[in-house]
Amino acid sequence: MLQLKCLCLQVAYEDWFITLYNVCYSSLPVLLVGLLDQDVNDKLSLKFPKLYLPGQQGSLFNYRNFFISLFHGIFTSLIIFFIPYGAFLQTMGQDGEAPSDYQSFAVVTASSLIITVNLQISLDTSYWTFVNCFAVLGSIAIYFGIMFDIHSAGIHVIFPSAFTFTGAASNALRQPYLWLTIILTVGISLLPVICIQFLHKSIWPSVGDKVQRNRKKYEMEEEEKKKPSAFQRGQRSRRSAYAFSHSRGYADLIASGRSIRRRPTARGGPQDSIREVPQREAENI
Amino acid sequence: MMASSYNAKEEDGHHSGSSSHGGAGAVKSKKPDNTAFKQQRLPAWQPILTAGTVLPAFFVIGLIFIPIGIGLYVTSNNIKEYEVDYTGVDMSSPCFNCAQNFSWNSTTSCNCSVPFTLEQPFESNVFMYYGLSNFYQNHRRYVKSRDDSQLNGDRSSLKNPSKECEPYRTSDGLPIAPCGAIANSLFNDTLELYYIDANGSRTAIPLVKKGIAWWTDKHVKFRNPGGNNNNLTAAFQGTSKPVNWRKPVYELDPLDVDNNGFINEDFIVWMRTAALPTFRKLYRIIQKKASMTPTLPSGKYVLEVTYNYPVRSFEGRKRMILSTISWMGGKNPFLGIAYITVGSVCFFLGVVLLIIHHKYDNRNNSADIPN
Repeated sequence: MLQLKCLCLQVAYEDWFITLYNVCYSSLPVLLVGLLDQDVNDKLSLKFPKLYLPGQQGSLFNYRNFFISLFHGIFTSLIIFFIPYGAFLQTMGQDGEAPSDYQSFAVVTASSLIITVNLQISLDTSYWTFVNCFAVLGSIAIYFGIMFDIHSAGIHVIFPSAFTFTGAASNALRQPYLWLTIILTVGISLLPVICIQFLHKSIWPSVGDKVQRNRKKYEMEEEEKKKPSAFQRGQRSRRSAYAFSHSRGYADLIASGRSIRRRPTARGGPQDSIREVPQREAENI
Repeated sequence: MMASSYNAKEEDGHHSGSSSHGGAGAVKSKKPDNTAFKQQRLPAWQPILTAGTVLPAFFVIGLIFIPIGIGLYVTSNNIKEYEVDYTGVDMSSPCFNCAQNFSWNSTTSCNCSVPFTLEQPFESNVFMYYGLSNFYQNHRRYVKSRDDSQLNGDRSSLKNPSKECEPYRTSDGLPIAPCGAIANSLFNDTLELYYIDANGSRTAIPLVKKGIAWWTDKHVKFRNPGGNNNNLTAAFQGTSKPVNWRKPVYELDPLDVDNNGFINEDFIVWMRTAALPTFRKLYRIIQKKASMTPTLPSGKYVLEVTYNYPVRSFEGRKRMILSTISWMGGKNPFLGIAYITVGSVCFFLGVVLLIIHHKYDNRNNSADIPN
């Protein structure tokens, strides 16, 4: 989502921001979503083979979704530029000094961009571990940390020509007006996304959405299924102990190994669930 | 069937068992460790977008944004601002002659007086700005055309400015200080304000020229070469003034050593390039009076302009703006209106989503029962 605002031919952002954007500020959360995100956990995935249909039908990665993402990016970049543009159009700074200069404009648009991007990836994360939290909050924190460093007086004294944004961040971000601009920009960028995602999940839920919605219910059913078999096992052993004292008993059953090989279908074991349960439960999704 | 699968599992177990026992330096099992991280069993929060979270969020955001918008709009409306365009485009304008007869080589400066009236008194500190239109201070080659090392007081950059300053790098064989197109186009009109009271006498309004630049700019970014000594003429020996300036940089304010040379505040304010083609820069501050009288009482005023800066050639405009300041800065209703709009749209969307959710919720609940 890196956007170059070519309205004025001058690069809107500072050089170091552009370099570090792809490396530090926005890459880690996306990476972690790709590696660690689970919208449906492994047990439920095995239980509902219909979850594999979206992959087979190619309904998640196709041209339509690509162009939707493209337009979403264009829309967000227009918002991130034009809302601060409107706010800066005729304004003055809080102390009357230095109104609407290009470095403060760059700070405001860059901050809105980083916060929007990181909150957007959080909306797409469905499995929040501490690693994800750390990545999102860490990216935003690193951005502000590095920005204040680059805009500090100290680094300008050492490299005057390379770091020319001296004082821009501290001067811009101490003004509540510019923070309100950032909040408005982030809000306008994200609220349509939340609205559309919610509508999709309500009106046209996918298989994954339905499973996610009833995840707790399915997990409780799994627990209940395991419990009765434990009872039966206990009962049988009690019965066999009783029977053992009055009749021949089941010793030859155990010794010959027949009891292990031929399992009754009522009891669910790991190898059974793959074959039998899908035929019974898959139709009910 | 089942037996074979069972045996296969057993064999697997046996295999790994035997290989780990059997050979010295045996092949390590390729199974990933059974840790929570590698088996993706970390404790997690799995939120989903339900109606219970989204709808209240929309209503709350709507209810928060609307008062903020109203606050911003009301504050902006209470800020007083007055603008005087003195470019001299029309024949009837006082500065028309100055605009028409401008030439770079004239030794006498052209003066014009622009009368105006303030309907309302201005309280507290009043800030005086000059505004330019159609002036692209954000053009890439323009923004790059400066040497920050030279402006930081570096002696070697003073005598050998950076290549970025071309074509404003040297003049008559001498290096230009300060070099570059931004410095060369320094705004050099002089604006003075006089109040005309009831019996026609003029009083000059005191204009403060210090404190208009950023603290970091004045004390860190811009330094005179050779420190802040009195003899700036010697410090700038061997350099020449920018091509379109009338005086060299060490004569910007000879009476005040703290405002002369590179650390002249008007120069610093100009060097902070603006983001948009219509911009304002702080020129002077009119400080509030100790007594309860307003800083600028309502009545007639006259603006005396020393017209040095040509803008007619690129269809630009020059203005003088007087404005009071609040916690949100200057007069700009955009953010207030935007907040009110977004807040109302959010609230309205919340209502719409509530209706949709109600309609589709029943349908979804019936379709989801397994078995």
